[in-house]
Amino acid sequence: MAVHSDSASSGKKSSNGLNELLTFNAENMQSNMKIIYYSRTFLSIIGGVVAGILGFTGLKGFVFYLLLMALTSLGLVAKAGFSTHTYFDSWNRVLLDGFLGGLMSFVLFWTFAYDIVHIF
Amino acid sequence: MGLGFVVGFIGLLILFHAAYSTIQYRGLLKITEEEFSGPPLNVVIEVTLGLVLCMWAALTVPGKFLSIHPDSEENRIVSLPANLDFMIFNHRYKVFPVELDVKLKH
Repeated sequence: MAVHSDSASSGKKSSNGLNELLTFNAENMQSNMKIIYYSRTFLSIIGGVVAGILGFTGLKGFVFYLLLMALTSLGLVAKAGFSTHTYFDSWNRVLLDGFLGGLMSFVLFWTFAYDIVHIF
Repeated sequence: MGLGFVVGFIGLLILFHAAYSTIQYRGLLKITEEEFSGPPLNVVIEVTLGLVLCMWAALTVPGKFLSIHPDSEENRIVSLPANLDFMIFNHRYKVFPVELDVKLKH
């Protein structure tokens, strides 16, 4: 029986290069992802209410949403102390994950707030 | 975390107040029959303030980030359980490279 002594493949997740994270604490990783998800969802809802109050229509609202998500990414990176490798295994997780997940909530609360403030 | 909730609640209250004053502003525009070109300046300031407070609350209320390195300070298991019969030490982790700078701390 051949024995593989390749240590890079025996971890839960591995990446070669300068950041040799052979294995990581998956439970903490999941908890961190949940925190990002909650933050983004809440801010999508708040952003929808703000866009409705300010009377954005059409493309301006979606641009506002993109700006808001970019600000959220910046805030999350700042919360992680600018050293995301301590809390996540790749940049994409904190910068891009959940970017479009809050879009539906944003549009819902945007139309809701716009109707209440500007139409009724 | 209680502070985060309070800050978020205050941010929401400010947003509701801004919405109410925008509704009143629109009522005024209907009376004077002008077009709605943009919210008044105080509404914009209020909304920005409410957004900043809610953003701060959204980043602090869900909880702290936990480190995912297995050898970081907060992930240490420093106490041996009383029942040593079930602790084994010849598991698969022995294929990992040896780190010679791990210190023993109380």
